[in-house]
Amino acid sequence: MSLVNDDIAPVGSTRRSWRAQLRGGSVLLCVGLLMLAIMIVTTVLAPWIVPYDPSASIGMPLSPPNAEHLLGTDVIGRDILSRLISGGRTTLLITGIAVSLALVAGLILGLLSGYLGGIVDETIMRILDVVFAFPVFLLAIAVVAALGPTIPNLIITIAIVYTPAMARVVRGPVLSVKQWDHVEAARSIGVGDVRIVSRHILPIVASPVVVETSLTLAQTIFTVTALSFLGLGPPPPDPNWGGMLAESRQFMELAPITVIAPAGAIVFATMTFIILANGLREFLNVSTRR
Amino acid sequence: MSAGTPLLSVRDLTARIATHHEIVEAVRGVSFDVAPGEAVGFVGESGCGKSVTARAIMRLAAEGTDVRLDGKILFKGRDLLTLSDREMGKMRGRQIAMVFQDPMTSLNPVMTVGAQIDDVLRRHTDLYGRAVRARSIELLDAVGVPDPARRADDHPHQFSGGQRQRILIAIAIACDPDLLIADEPTTALDVTVQAQILRLLMRLREERGMSLLLITHDFGVVAGMVEKVNVMYRGEIVETGDVDTLLSKPQHEYTKSLLAAVPRIRVAGAIS
Amino acid sequence: MKRLIIVRLAWTFAILLGVSFIAFILMRALPGDFVLAAAGTTSVSAEALDGMRAELGLDRPVLEQYLVWLGNALQGDFGASFVTHAPVLQELAPRFFVTLQLSLVAIVMALLIGGVTGLASARLRGRVDWLVRAINGVSLAVPNFVIATLIVLLAGLYFPQLVVFGYTPFAVDPLKSFGNLLLPGLALGLAVSVTISENTRAAVLEVSNQDFVMVARAKGLKRSTVLFQYLLRNAATPIITVAGLQVATLLGGSILVETIFAIPGMGQYLFDSITRRDYPVIQAIVLVAAGVVVLINMLVDIAYIRADARVRL
Repeated sequence: MSLVNDDIAPVGSTRRSWRAQLRGGSVLLCVGLLMLAIMIVTTVLAPWIVPYDPSASIGMPLSPPNAEHLLGTDVIGRDILSRLISGGRTTLLITGIAVSLALVAGLILGLLSGYLGGIVDETIMRILDVVFAFPVFLLAIAVVAALGPTIPNLIITIAIVYTPAMARVVRGPVLSVKQWDHVEAARSIGVGDVRIVSRHILPIVASPVVVETSLTLAQTIFTVTALSFLGLGPPPPDPNWGGMLAESRQFMELAPITVIAPAGAIVFATMTFIILANGLREFLNVSTRR
Repeated sequence: MSAGTPLLSVRDLTARIATHHEIVEAVRGVSFDVAPGEAVGFVGESGCGKSVTARAIMRLAAEGTDVRLDGKILFKGRDLLTLSDREMGKMRGRQIAMVFQDPMTSLNPVMTVGAQIDDVLRRHTDLYGRAVRARSIELLDAVGVPDPARRADDHPHQFSGGQRQRILIAIAIACDPDLLIADEPTTALDVTVQAQILRLLMRLREERGMSLLLITHDFGVVAGMVEKVNVMYRGEIVETGDVDTLLSKPQHEYTKSLLAAVPRIRVAGAIS
Repeated sequence: MKRLIIVRLAWTFAILLGVSFIAFILMRALPGDFVLAAAGTTSVSAEALDGMRAELGLDRPVLEQYLVWLGNALQGDFGASFVTHAPVLQELAPRFFVTLQLSLVAIVMALLIGGVTGLASARLRGRVDWLVRAINGVSLAVPNFVIATLIVLLAGLYFPQLVVFGYTPFAVDPLKSFGNLLLPGLALGLAVSVTISENTRAAVLEVSNQDFVMVARAKGLKRSTVLFQYLLRNAATPIITVAGLQVATLLGGSILVETIFAIPGMGQYLFDSITRRDYPVIQAIVLVAAGVVVLINMLVDIAYIRADARVRL
């Protein structure tokens, strides 16, 4: 036997069978859902499962992980595990609500823009262009600094910052879907706009939106923790992951766990949504153009 | 067939293409000869294995596909399938060259056409410096690109489809190959341009004494172009013979149906 | 094509106007203005405060303030810092240069890492492809400030002799200046390298399937020639486009990375100015940042239009 294609490595084809695709998607999806479940359960049960009061100094400062404090204590002797769980609750709360708001706003704007077209479309997209021109994180810093770093303000800021991207993701498919035959047919027999949108357009837009939402959740975790890292997070004494990371930087060579624990939590949360997004993308067969 | 050993002698060639879950035998036990200076046609519908056969001689496979070959491809007595990649690289473009189907996508859009002839000359000849470009311009002239000295610095998008195919032919004949494989060289072109390109191939073949392997789905194209025709169907050669005999008295049912599909006028007004 | 570019330019200018207006309104919406912040705890009479406001022009209607500011800005005058009273441009320029230098180091590192891994992924396929994509997936999940912190931690633990913090001005020692920025650049560029890697992979795979690559191989050209002249030259446009579009990410990330590595750049300056409510500085930085992003987007667009014309026409 002789191998002809000398320029390329002999491997299988680049396209996988649908069966393999489904399986690949399912594995990612299951892992993602499992990680999400862990986060949600700890968030909901946080007040009951924290070993200690997250804001109280109850141990020796900077003690390494031990039986009493599984992840050690921070510089003023607070239990790191308790702070991690309780900080996660705040982070996920902000993230969840903010992204839901951005999702709703993005859906409304994207549907209006894509479905009505014309001047409405132009106006909405041009305004969003302006918001888009800000580097997201700069915009978030500016808004939070202007409004003051409280939880509601953080939520509003993040919702504003991520609405344009969401609206664009919605608008694209709407533009093409509304010209499809079944939509034209529905319109020709006098089906109302609201019904056309909810019955015929929304279901098709749903897949890309679900994927984008998951990606936005990952980015939001980043933004929230980064803002709190800069001191623009939820006000003290509420613990938060970014703040924990920032506080511990001075002592990290003495007690690396003080930095590694919040860093790990941030990475875990971000990775959850990225894995989920990729699993959903393959599962729902959403094309990967971005 | 002319006397002496054939230039190319393919024996029992089998090509298997591995896809994700199965192996397709695209070419099964194909044998044929091409004598020096001879023109041989391969006719068949798309997917019959004629293009895979042509590429097998060049040992080329489409990107990302895994093709395995069995049998012998004897070129000037050497089995190409036993050559190393390096040796095969020196063979391609130098002794065996190929013209492809779609001139619109076969030229590199970001390089000038002159540079695309230069690089094959630099690879296979001793020319260097200005001599390379001078030779490229001669070649463009030989294939009938007007004002070649100036146009060598143009990019592919500035040429029409017919002109691009001429440029691709210039690239193919740049190093005076002994065998030119033309894989559906006119399929993507307008009818009037088709005739011009075929005439150009004929002329170059006569001037340079090349052998020509012409692959097409169209009997109208082989008539008047080649001496011998192989008809391929589902990876096998089902009929082979002298072009005139085959056109007038086809034996195999498949050949008959293929001929019946060719518009009368084209066969009658075959290129001369 | 010329018309397209002119339209694009006009639109860019309109966006910048919109951005500056939003930034202006946003800053004025701050609860508690600069005068109060400056007065601090010292008790100052209401009249004195009003006097200060009048002096700074803060007593006039917002729209009027904006138009005055815009008029000056168009002439290159971004006002003076409320805090130091020095012209904003004079304070901003050296810091902008530092951030630019950092972003440059970051984008070069991202292009190197992303280009090489993406190319390896597309050409070698199989296990390499799988490995690269897995690593990319993980890198994407680690925010730049976490990477930066971890780099500092690792350097502190295992290479204590390494100077990690701070910045040497370019004019003092160019080599050392860039050397200082290697680790921060890595932290900043890693996330961008993932995007570049994925796009390189996609672009190379797409170009690999083009007929002209087959023609190049049929010419018997050396592998390196096919790779550089045929594959990479064609894949380069989308890759560079993507790299350009990542500038926004770099600018945002530089705030964090500069804070962590104590680099006196624009990000750090912005952060300080926001806490001090130094409006003119914030305004100028937001405008400069948005300007850079919009400008690069425009250049990318124009490059695309031109590349498209070359390929399609």
